[in-house]
This record gives sequence, C-alpha cells and structure tokens, in this order.
Amino acid sequence: MSKISAADFVKAFQKAHPKAVKSIESTDPRRANLVVNNESFLDAAKSLRDNFGFLMPVSGGAIDYPDDNRIQMIYYLMHPSSRFMLTYRVDLNRDDPNMPSLTPVWEAMSFHEREAHEMFGIEFEDHPNMIPLLLPPEWKGGHPLLKDFKGEGKQ
Amino acid sequence: MREPMIKPDVMRISWGPQHPMSGQTRILLDVDGERVHRIIADLGFTHRGIEKILENRTFFSGIIPVDRMAMVDTANMSIGYVTAIEKAAGIEVPERAKWIRTLVCEMSRINSHLYAFGLQAESTGYFPAVFLWTTVDREILLDLFEELTGARWSFNFFFPGGVHQDLPDGFREKVLKAVKYLRGRFKDYWGAMVENPLFENRCNGVAILEPKDALRLGATGPVLRGSGIDIDMRRDEPYDAYGDVEWEVITEDACDVMARTKVRFHEIGQALNIMEQIAQKIPDGPVKGRVNAFMRVPEGECISRVEAGRGELGFHLFTNGTGNPYRVKINSPTLRNMYVFERLAELNEVFIADIPVIINSIDPWYLDADR
Amino acid sequence: MMTEEQTIKRAFDNVPGSGAAYNLIDFIAGWSRKYSIWPIHFVTGCCSPEFMQVSGSRYDMERLGVLPFASVRQCDCIMVVGVVSRKMALRVKYLYDQMGDPKYVVAVGACPTGKGPFRDSYAVVAVDDYVPVDIYIPGCPPRPEAIIYGMMLLQEKIKKERRIGVKD
Repeated sequence: MSKISAADFVKAFQKAHPKAVKSIESTDPRRANLVVNNESFLDAAKSLRDNFGFLMPVSGGAIDYPDDNRIQMIYYLMHPSSRFMLTYRVDLNRDDPNMPSLTPVWEAMSFHEREAHEMFGIEFEDHPNMIPLLLPPEWKGGHPLLKDFKGEGKQ
Repeated sequence: MREPMIKPDVMRISWGPQHPMSGQTRILLDVDGERVHRIIADLGFTHRGIEKILENRTFFSGIIPVDRMAMVDTANMSIGYVTAIEKAAGIEVPERAKWIRTLVCEMSRINSHLYAFGLQAESTGYFPAVFLWTTVDREILLDLFEELTGARWSFNFFFPGGVHQDLPDGFREKVLKAVKYLRGRFKDYWGAMVENPLFENRCNGVAILEPKDALRLGATGPVLRGSGIDIDMRRDEPYDAYGDVEWEVITEDACDVMARTKVRFHEIGQALNIMEQIAQKIPDGPVKGRVNAFMRVPEGECISRVEAGRGELGFHLFTNGTGNPYRVKINSPTLRNMYVFERLAELNEVFIADIPVIINSIDPWYLDADR
Repeated sequence: MMTEEQTIKRAFDNVPGSGAAYNLIDFIAGWSRKYSIWPIHFVTGCCSPEFMQVSGSRYDMERLGVLPFASVRQCDCIMVVGVVSRKMALRVKYLYDQMGDPKYVVAVGACPTGKGPFRDSYAVVAVDDYVPVDIYIPGCPPRPEAIIYGMMLLQEKIKKERRIGVKD
C-alpha cells in the first residue's frame, strides 16, 4: 500500500468529492479532520476505504453541543502504511439524531455504534445487532452522556 | 440482555462473572458437541461512567479515575491523559521528567505482561506454579514503585508538566539489580512456557488471525503484532523519551496463540533493555514544570495516542476555556480486541477446551473496555 | 428448617449444666469455622490485582485458611473486591442468596463501602444496599496487610458468635 501524507490526502479528497465535504483540514502531520454532509456520508465512507486505503477502524464516539442543537458523531480511522489518524465526522440534529450505520463498511464499528446509541440516543439504520453494550438491560434512566442528563438514572 | 436467537440444535453456555477464569464479564458460547459456533461477549459489568465524571473534575484531579482504568498497567493509562492535556495547553515537560516517565511506563508494561503470563499459564493447566512465580516477580516491581511514588498500584505520579518527585538516592542501583534478577527469571519463564512441549501442543496453530483480518477487524497491541503487522505507538507517535533510547518493535509471523505469547516475552526483554539504559544515562535537571493546579485550558481539541500493555489507548480531549474538560473520549484497546475475539469462532475451528487459552492470548482487561 | 444446633437445644434445655455445654459447642464450632473461611472466587473491580497479590507467595492468605473456591454452594464468605456497578450488584445478590448459612460478606476497598473515587458516577452503587456487610476494609487499593487484618477481624467476629449458647 502506498504512503500518502496527511496534507496530500486532504487535497486529494477535496478534489475527488467536492460536494460532500463540509470542512477538511490537517493541523498536524499525524492528524486530519473531515466533516461531511449527511446525504453523502455512506458513499464517502466507502470511498475512504476503497480508494484512499483507510482499512483500519479504530473507534467511534459522539459529542453533544446543546447550544448549537447538534450532536456530532466521530469515527476514528487509521491509514495502515502512513500511520496518520483521520477523524471522520457528521453533524446530526439533536432532536432527532439518526444516520446510516457504518458497519457495512467497517464491521468493527459495531460495538462503538451500540455504545453511542445507549449513551447519546443516536439511531443507526441497518445495524446488525443493536442491543445495549455497557448499561444494564433494564436501565430506564435516559442517555447518560447528554449534557442535560440529571443525576443517577432510575432503574 | 435481549440476545440474538440461537439455532435449534446448539446449546448456549453462559460463562459468567463468577468463574475462576472468566474475569469480570459474561461470555456466551453457542456449542454443538465440542465445537463452538458463535461467541457473544456481554460487557458492562464494570462500567463506572469515567467519561462522564471526568467532565466534573478539574484536570489534575481527573487523573485519579483515569489511573484506575487498568490498575495492572496504571502508568500507561495516565500518561495518555496527561499527554493530551499538555498538548492542548502547550505545556513543556523537562527532560529528566520525560526519562523518569518512560522508566515508570516500562515497569508498568512488564507488570501487565507478567499478569498475562500468569493467566495464560493458569488456563493451560500450570496452576499454581507459574502463576505464583509471577506474583513474586511483580512484588519486586511493586517495591520499586512504592519507594519511588509511595503507593503500589495506582500512584497518580504524573501530572501535566512533570512528575511529582525526583528519584530517591540509590534508586538507579536498585533498578539495575531488579533488571539483572528479572533477566534470570526470563529464562525460567521461557523454558517453562515457550519451549515446553505441553504448552506448544496447546498453543501452536490455535486461533489463527491472518494479517488482513487483523487490520479489518481492528486488532491492536500484541494481537496485531503477533500477526506480523508492525504498528506501535511508541515508534509511530513518539512521546517522552522513546526517541532517545534504543529499542525495537517486536513482530511475529505465525499469527497464532504462541506468536502472541512470544511477542509479550520479547516485549518484556525490550522493556528491561530500556530500563537499563535509562538507569545508566538519565540526564540531570528539574522534574516539575511550573503549572497551576487549577489550570484553565484554552478552547480546542486534541488527540493523544499511547501504547499501553494491551494495545493503543487514545484520548480525545475537548476543552472550552474553563477548568474542567468539556468531553473526554477514551479509545480503549480491550474493546477493539473483544470484537476480534468474537469473530475468531467464525474464522477458525474452535473447540470449547481452547476458549480459555484463546481469551488469555487476547489478554483482555475488562475495566478498560467498560471504562 | 431446624439446624442440628437447634435440635440439640430443644432436647437439652432442662438438663442442669446445659448452658456450659452450649457454650462449649459454640466454641468448637466457631473455632473450626474461623480457620477455614472459603470465599467465592469473585472479583468485581479494579482491586483484583491486589487480591491476587494477597493470595500469592509473599502475603500468603492461605495460611489463615482462606482458600478461594469455585462452587458457590460450598463457600461461606463472599469478598466483594472492587467497584460494584449496577449490572454486577444483581449478581452479588444472586450469589449471596445461593450460599448456605452461616455466611459473611467482606467489602474490600473504598468503592463497595461508599463508592470511592467514583462518588458522583451514575453507574456505581455501594454494596450495602444489596447485601448485609460484616467487615469493611478501606483503601484504594487496601494494602495486603490491611486485607489480612480484615480477615483476622472476621475471624474474631466468628469466634464471638453465640448461636445456641447464652450471650455473655
């Protein structure tokens, strides 16, 4: 697999998918950040895996911005030969967060999407096995990592 | 748990949290005769909500829960968080502090790999001989930790800007003595485990993980390096003094349980070399930078990746200008390796007697998967 | 269900000198119980490496008669070692219910006592709410000497139990 630096990847991706990208930058030679639109999320992910060589899934998580009324879902990917890390992000509406699941593209994201679902309430379409990962199955207390989660949940 | 449905002619065994070999988790095995068709891991028995409580702590006091994420390997957990804060706030660390941090991290790595050997030996039937050897050898390292930091296990020794105390008098000679003793024990372990025909019989050719599957399923740490892929955060994203000492990344090509055990063996050898070099050549200087304990970090985000004993540990830190972090996302190595464990039953022919051997070659520590 | 000690009590209540005989039976029963406390091999959280070191070669817990045993029905102590999350607390209760009398609970560490460093977490509970605890051993993690002292306090408590005799 050929090596590609983070700065070159930014330019190449911008050229290949100009309409999908909301913002893309590389502040450090080992990091790159990419935010895409919701519609082209799955196609851009497939292109990252097939054309740009991001074969290694690392992790996935989310962050809650109640002031902007959005939840941002972040996937962490690594390029095995160039060794830099890409954070692949999408913004979701806080009142109704749902998005296509990335398990058809990188199947190891399955655990991380289950955790994001129970912690933030994000609905993933086409997830093969959406059951709680960390919280008890009879948990009724809400979604713990949202900013307006109040104290201990009630069972 | 509303688990997936099982096929009519298989039996589902629940290998639960109360079992001498299972650790703090429940693993469901779908078994047909002796062959395991499917493995389902039920995590979450040690979930403590560390990501949420870190939002309520200052940066300094947040190191306390992070240390307890994996207590066998505690220095490598806290070095990740401390490095993230330093990058986000732009704090410089003195040279001598970086070398001391590397020394403590490598001692933690030996601690963690000895724990893995103890469990690996216990699961192949050597209980209690090799397991009790490892408890004695860990005591040597715990005595060194206690002399340096004051505590045996979760010592909170690092803070953004340096380490809490300098090396006491005579500590470097003690480190060299411990290195010499552990090198002698290394030969005992090698003879008892790797060159033993009983151990080879149980471990050669079991649970093969091909390199392309290892990349695709997200393996990390000795599981990935046992399949021939050399990715190690100490070399790819150098932090502290790893760029100043000589060491090598260990890989093996056999891709089975024995290869992962050999990777851990040789990593202990490399760690002993690093400890020896640091004890001989550590530079002089201060060990604490000037940092305010109630520091405020400007708004931004920063990712730090370190190599713990079990694999790559990542901290993604979001700050918003106050004294508490806005969000901390922890990328845990064991969570990635547990997905690999679940898929191993589909890639290989796995028998039920092999399961403890396989799971101890993955070397999970469920407290950092559950955070 | 009457234990054998209660049947002895019913038969010999009116015999003169039975009080001293009951105390002797209690003493022998307590002596044999306190030197063979078998806990369940069950660790719940991060204090587990320290528990392993206590069972190891330097601080040997087995010389006190403490042997971690696998089968729940044959144990008489449950040592809750480390953080107890909500999912795990139900299992602690199931195991406590399955043990036979007499049974004891030892809470090792600061976390089962009162949540420890995770005091404001949504997912951690104190084990007091689920099972009755006999001995609390504080520390994060407690030193091996502290764990051994805690087991010796449990031995003192067992020695002083009076199940059929007169309380003094």
